[in-house]
Amino acid sequence: MNPARLSGRMKTVSMADRTLKKEDLGKLIDSVRAKGGRFVAPALLARQVVFRSVKSAEEVATGYILARNSFKEFLFPQTEVIAEFSMNKDSVGLKGVEVDAPETVVFGARPCEAASLKGLRTLFTWDFVDEFYTKREDKTVVITVGCTSGDEACFCTTVDLSPESTEGADVYLRETEDNGYTVKGLTEKGKKFLDTHDAVFTSGAAKERPLFKPETVPAVDLKRVSERLKDRAHYDDPVWAKLTMKCIGCGACTFVCPTCRCFDITDEGTAFEGERRKNWDSCQYDAFTLHASGHNPREHQPQRWRNRFMCKFNFYPEKFSSKGCVGCGRCIRVCPVRLDITEVMQEFSK
Amino acid sequence: MDNIYLPYLAKIEEIRDEAPDVRSFKLVFEDPALRDSFEFKTGQFGLYSAFGLGESTFCIASSPTRKGYIQCTFRRTGRVTGGLAQLSVGDTMGFRGPYGNWFPVDDWKGKDIVFIAGGICLPTVRSVIWNVLDRRQHFGNITIVYGARTVADLVYKDELKGWDERSDITPSRPWTPARDPGMEGQGRVRADRIGRGRAFCEEHGGRDLHISKFVLNSLLKLGFDEGSVYT
Ligand SMILES: Cc1cc2nc3c(=O)[nH]c(=O)nc-3n(C[C@H](O)[C@H](O)[C@H](O)COP(=O)(O)OP(=O)(O)OC[C@H]3O[C@@H](n4cnc5c(N)ncnc54)[C@H](O)[C@@H]3O)c2cc1C
Ligand code: SF4
Ligand code: SF4
Repeated sequence: MNPARLSGRMKTVSMADRTLKKEDLGKLIDSVRAKGGRFVAPALLARQVVFRSVKSAEEVATGYILARNSFKEFLFPQTEVIAEFSMNKDSVGLKGVEVDAPETVVFGARPCEAASLKGLRTLFTWDFVDEFYTKREDKTVVITVGCTSGDEACFCTTVDLSPESTEGADVYLRETEDNGYTVKGLTEKGKKFLDTHDAVFTSGAAKERPLFKPETVPAVDLKRVSERLKDRAHYDDPVWAKLTMKCIGCGACTFVCPTCRCFDITDEGTAFEGERRKNWDSCQYDAFTLHASGHNPREHQPQRWRNRFMCKFNFYPEKFSSKGCVGCGRCIRVCPVRLDITEVMQEFSK
Repeated sequence: MDNIYLPYLAKIEEIRDEAPDVRSFKLVFEDPALRDSFEFKTGQFGLYSAFGLGESTFCIASSPTRKGYIQCTFRRTGRVTGGLAQLSVGDTMGFRGPYGNWFPVDDWKGKDIVFIAGGICLPTVRSVIWNVLDRRQHFGNITIVYGARTVADLVYKDELKGWDERSDITPSRPWTPARDPGMEGQGRVRADRIGRGRAFCEEHGGRDLHISKFVLNSLLKLGFDEGSVYT
């Protein structure tokens, strides 16, 4: 990573319709919670800033770049019960469960990660409608905050996004010099949210802090990447091994990624009763594509990595016309062997 | 709420052992209305559950031309398939589906058809074979190319014999690499082509594109048109 990329600053004029004073964030949380909603925001847990349900403004982290996890887990939980069953000698009793979809506000998401929602929605409504996802998303208001800082791993601008992007967001905030926010409602859902909690907001001008804009990763050409991936001749290219052999297949990159959405269904319980669960899975695991014959079409880790890269830069854009990678950089930060997806992007831009 | 993950309940009506660790179930839905209304297309798959363990993907091995039941054939490889293998006739299991792509069998009317499959991959192709055989008059010549690692690994042994004996199917007897003494007669299809048959079948399960090149290439050499190969 090039440290020079950290230096970018953007000056923009915002078209905010309201402001939120720093001291009023607590009122907003109270107002949401008083109506039975849950307020999800970046907060400290085990010394890391992660999205979690909070009760007060004191819990909400400041000065973070990006929460460690993606907020997708509030729409598509790591594990959830989808049915319950009981068994006796002659029969099986089966009962589907209702989705637990409380009114939710996701506060403090970054513009990059909000852009992942389009792809998730398309996948979960493709062919069959997964109401465990759609009902939650329908009840969620996503409030993004334009970034005023970033780190070496941020690369939103390389995938045609920026701290000003509003894709997937319902409400867009900008930090102000007095530690508050300017507020702009974007979608009907967002505007309705602002009206509902109108008493918390104020009007009037406020000086916005300049946005941080990561420089684009040099020598990356997304069109070229997409073209190169289309021709499956690259499948056997030794460059995959060269770039990704060090991957230990831990799957961390897929779990923190806001666009990854593979899952597996398993049962838990006793021989008499139990529950069926939908759990996150990862294409980085060796059993993911293992056949009953013992043959594995993705036997080696570079082949699994190739799939992950293909999914982001070929399958998603082609199949769903949506971004498979939003440049949040989480996979780069979390990887124990320092595998950097932008280096693979550079290689396939050649 | 519409819960797309909720399976139908089905009773096991018949169990058949096909090969070591490979077993077939004939399943009848518990809901009589569903028995009549259930529809699928040949080549589609479902998720079969052993309650308490989870669910596994298998193709529907029977043909939509046979109503009132479905069949699946699976190899015992792990947690769920191990649990399914312990079920007996009369036990209840789960099924959800059908999902996935199908073979456009009706487009092949009037054409000659060659079926190629290997080992445990015959179940999907079997659905197509019976779909075509049950409406035999609509199709041209039919050839079935099938092989497995050993004779013991061949599935649907009775049906293979039946197909071999039919005068309206070009015989190409099952081929196994060791030319097992148990197999009388020698297939008419050359070994290298059957070898490709195995590669073809692996591709079908894994959707990994490069493997199908082998089968495709040998079919192209034999004069098949690329657009007429279905996987
Ligand atoms: C579209 C599709 C169609 C399919 N159709 C069929 C079909 O018709 N018939 C069929 O038999 N299979 C089919 N399969 C494969 C089948 O779904 C898997 O074999 C099955 O789900 C395995 O489930 P399991 O819970 O028993 O294995 P798991 O416990 O989940 O194990 C996963 C994999 O790990 C491996 N494994 C498990 N335990 C061990 C061990 N101790 N040592 C080494 N490896 C181990 C197995 O190879 C297994 O496949 C199909 C798959 C797909 C995607
Ligand atoms: S691939 Fe990496 S950078 Fe791209 S969206 Fe996923 S976690 Fe973020
Ligand atoms: S986080 Fe790194 S080591 Fe782990 S699976 Fe992803 S690329 Fe491989």
